[in-house]
Amino acid sequence: MTNPSNDPYFIDFPKRIKNIQARMAKDNIDVYLGSRLRTLSWTTDAFFPWRSFIVIPPEGLPTAFTFVIDAARAADDSWLDEDHVFGFAPMGGQDQIEQIADFIKEILPAGKGRVGIESGMSNYLPEGWLTHYEYEQYAAALSGCELVNAHTIIDRLALIKDQGTINRFKEASRIVDVGHQAVLDAIKNGGWKGMTETEIAGIAALAMRRAGSEWEWSFTGGNEIASGYRTGYAGGACTPASRREIQAGEPLMVDIHATFKLGLGDHSHNYLIGPATDRQRWHADNFVSIVKKTLETYRAGITPSLLAEQMMDFSEAGGFADYMVPGYEHGIGMLGDEWRIGLNDGPFPFWTNPDHVYQENEVLICAMQYACPDENIGFRYENPIQLFKDHCEEMSKFPLAIEEIR
Amino acid sequence: MTDNVKYLSQQWRDEAERRLKAELPPERMNFVTSSMSNIYQNCPDGKDRYLYFKFVDGKFEEMRIGEGESPKPEFAVSGDYETFAKITRGELGAQKALMTMKLKLKGNMVKALRLASLADRLNKVLATIPTEY
Repeated sequence: MTNPSNDPYFIDFPKRIKNIQARMAKDNIDVYLGSRLRTLSWTTDAFFPWRSFIVIPPEGLPTAFTFVIDAARAADDSWLDEDHVFGFAPMGGQDQIEQIADFIKEILPAGKGRVGIESGMSNYLPEGWLTHYEYEQYAAALSGCELVNAHTIIDRLALIKDQGTINRFKEASRIVDVGHQAVLDAIKNGGWKGMTETEIAGIAALAMRRAGSEWEWSFTGGNEIASGYRTGYAGGACTPASRREIQAGEPLMVDIHATFKLGLGDHSHNYLIGPATDRQRWHADNFVSIVKKTLETYRAGITPSLLAEQMMDFSEAGGFADYMVPGYEHGIGMLGDEWRIGLNDGPFPFWTNPDHVYQENEVLICAMQYACPDENIGFRYENPIQLFKDHCEEMSKFPLAIEEIR
Repeated sequence: MTDNVKYLSQQWRDEAERRLKAELPPERMNFVTSSMSNIYQNCPDGKDRYLYFKFVDGKFEEMRIGEGESPKPEFAVSGDYETFAKITRGELGAQKALMTMKLKLKGNMVKALRLASLADRLNKVLATIPTEY
């Protein structure tokens, strides 16, 4: 597959499939049965909101399976044609177990072979690992087959981002910046008075949708808006917008999300609703300083633990270590890939390996949270960053600051 | 023709073909190109049979009845002979038969849904044949 139109968002999906198949051959996997949302996104270029699967044969095109009510739409969005996106439903021969098992058996000589599956655990609810029930059912329906865990094939190939993926993330981030500007325009000059967190979430959503975003993709409630004490939950970094009204003299955290062709924008910006106290300003300055320091530090070759140590030393020296939540990243990839950094090779299974060595063209969310529950104040920073040999580039360009809004 | 013909016999096939050609011109078949097989299991003589249809651009091109394995169709619907007989006699809806696993469909269901109304038209024509089961 070439890119004749020089589309900046072009991704060579057939090449991705061939790379998977090459790895399957090395690992002696005859058929790959993917079930994770991230796997569906990465292989099909379509959003699969319902329980879905993809079957990748040893050679040739893969076939996706989803709930029949959405299969035609998914096929229309995907690079795969309608002969490679099937719908399943509770009808004889058409339920997801029998339909997919029969499909796999037709691929395998004499219906026997090694079937790669995706088994594991995640903090991210929509991950889509094969459930215990599904495993048992497929094992019974594919009685001549050995089911082996093979998710690392996808995880390894998806780690380093290609240019089309990076450009999609950049466009999603540009759209997020449009959302932030709309929020700033709406709240400044007293516009915030009488507004609720949900309203601010909606203002951002409308602006981003107008700019082309498909979805405020985060499962944490879409756009996360927090005000007052809700910005400073101890150890917290998750705030679905509430009906709380914005108040004078309080912090406001605006963490918004946009989607562009399965590329994800995720940027958090913070405000102080005036009048701000000197103490609030001190907290805000602390946070801006550590965000700057973190962005200066991120580069290929560093590890999450090394970066955390350096940032905790920085915050200790600044006298605000008590308020830093000790984490500075979360993983990101095409829609559905939003948790662990790197591979599942750390001391705690399926959590980020603290000794993961970042490589060039990894994309992650630079994420940090400042929380002072005793003073009802906190701040959050999130921004997709692309790693280079000696620096990182933040994708959202909304200026880093904590402005006092009157 | 008023005498009953035996279901799935050569005579029944010929009558089915005559009626389908007469009553389902290409425009009534939405100019579709597709093929389907009904797989009848446990026929009264203990055998399995198939009824294979093929349409090209909506034109009724081929209809075969046989024993054993059907020519490979785009869609295959399989079930007991008695289930198909009940459907043809109007005693059981095809959709209910599918939803209660009395019938099994093989093939791309998204495409099958687009053809459901055509299959219904076809079944209605077949149901008009005076048949002895």
